Amino acid sequence: MRMRRWWVVWLLLIILAGCKPPGAEPLDADVSIEPWPPQVRKSLITVHVPEELDVVELKVVGDMTHAGMIPVHGEGERQGGGTWLVRDFDINMRGDWILTITAKDREGKTYEKEVRFTVR
Amino acid sequence: MRARIDLLRWPLIGPFLRWRYSRFVLQLPLLLLAVLAIYDGFVGRQLAPKNLSTVSVWLHYRGLLVLAIAVAGNLFCSACPLMLTRGLTERLRRFVPQFTWPMRLRNKYLVIAITLVYLFAYEYFDLWASPWLTAWLMVGYFGAALLIDAFFPRGTFCKYVCPLGNFNFTLSTVSPTQISARERQVCLDCEGHYCVNGRVDTPEGPRPLAFHAQAEGERYPGCETQLYAPQIESNFDCTLCFNCVRACPYDNVSWEVRSPAREWAGVRYRADYVWLGVLLFFAGFMNAFAMIPAYYALAERASELLRTRNEALLLGLAFVVWVGLGLGLTVFVAHWASRLAGIAEGGFAAVRRWGSAFFPLSFAMWAGHYAYHFLTGWASIVPVTQQALGNLGLPVGEPNWQLAALVPENLLYPLQVFILYLGLMGSAYAAFARARSVGRGTAALPVFLYITVLVVLTLWVLAQPMEMRGTLLDPGSQPGGLK
Repeated sequence: MRMRRWWVVWLLLIILAGCKPPGAEPLDADVSIEPWPPQVRKSLITVHVPEELDVVELKVVGDMTHAGMIPVHGEGERQGGGTWLVRDFDINMRGDWILTITAKDREGKTYEKEVRFTVR
Repeated sequence: MRARIDLLRWPLIGPFLRWRYSRFVLQLPLLLLAVLAIYDGFVGRQLAPKNLSTVSVWLHYRGLLVLAIAVAGNLFCSACPLMLTRGLTERLRRFVPQFTWPMRLRNKYLVIAITLVYLFAYEYFDLWASPWLTAWLMVGYFGAALLIDAFFPRGTFCKYVCPLGNFNFTLSTVSPTQISARERQVCLDCEGHYCVNGRVDTPEGPRPLAFHAQAEGERYPGCETQLYAPQIESNFDCTLCFNCVRACPYDNVSWEVRSPAREWAGVRYRADYVWLGVLLFFAGFMNAFAMIPAYYALAERASELLRTRNEALLLGLAFVVWVGLGLGLTVFVAHWASRLAGIAEGGFAAVRRWGSAFFPLSFAMWAGHYAYHFLTGWASIVPVTQQALGNLGLPVGEPNWQLAALVPENLLYPLQVFILYLGLMGSAYAAFARARSVGRGTAALPVFLYITVLVVLTLWVLAQPMEMRGTLLDPGSQPGGLK
């Protein structure tokens, strides 16, 4: 009986290890940063999303890979042809960054894409 | 006779710590936090600043740890949730063979090796950046505590294996409190040595638990790490579990306020303790150095020279060179100081003599670094906990991620400088006190100059534009943007 309990604990751990966090729908987008290579300064982020998605809102959040860093937020401006611009995006420290691009379509469905880059 | 302040005589504190469930009460919140952090690390969003596992472990645990050590003592060992595995360990013991911990490993050298492996893994696997790996690290800790203490005598994990606990032991040499005996004579007259052996209250009176394990009666376990209260002269190996306080039938154990300088000046530490303290200084330096551009420039240079992009190799080399250089220089300087004092002894014996000068500096190094991270992101615990609880389906509202940093950054460097200067003063005091004790005050000069240079180097590191540690070698810019 006791051994069975340990098997259950082991099984739970194995299942837990295989867990993967849920996410929004993946966003198939091209992202670019100007200037490139990225530097510690205010930058322009350009995101091209497929026109058929009918995106009405696009946000970009920049996080560093270290806990405790305040995130940087940017709102996209629609340019037409599926292009969105995020101006004056404040890349404020060297290191590894993760940009999370979240797009919302007319029906409220969200799509997400993560890109990583290093500032040297 | 010096006046003593015994915190166990204070209202609330004393009665609470004597209560047999006080440790459990301290451990429970940390256990719940650990469980939630492990859960979030496995199933939450894999973004370090927005995951409870990475934020709680790499920001809050480390920051609050040094703060607690500086103002009170080794409270994090006291509240360590890993020790809640003890109930399971006791059950496991019935089914598994029992071993004694090998004599060769009854020192801190295994801990030193594990600490080096851990620090290497921290940099190589970017543990700070991975909630998933951080969660596994916590699970691994719980598992290791459970297994080691199941096969070996209880307390083995804390004393001989746990790198975190031994980190706490080393840093708590600067703590303003220490467990002590009230009346030495009472201990000399005590036959049961209950503080170490534990106590069982039988109908015939108190008996040492270690020798009356089968006896009926209320049980009070003794010291987990086998410290005998009247002989304690340092916080090394003390987990502040307060078992000794509860086990002593004569109420003769105190938790007294003290000057840590007394310890630095007077205690002759074992060589392995001193090596751990020295290692932690150099490892702490490297940990901070890995966050400035010069480190990455050096890595690129080494990569060109050695014609390799193998990060494990470069990182391993950096560890070997820096830590090896540090330990070698320390032997040289200590030996020089001993020669100036007119003492003919080998380098290792000299390190043992002068090594206590490193403890205040080691503390200052880690405290300065951890203070930076903690103060830049202390409020982030609110939104990450909200998010983790939200993932469980609890109605906790929308997390406000702007709470990440609330301390002005321009205050951080002066604070770090202040902490380092305090460390330098403590270390200088220790070196000169030791030199005076051998009748030659000037013998401390090599040590003093050495630690001054190390502090200046550290200040230089802290004054550099800080970058969040990341990819060791520049991945290079890809034309056309990011995909």
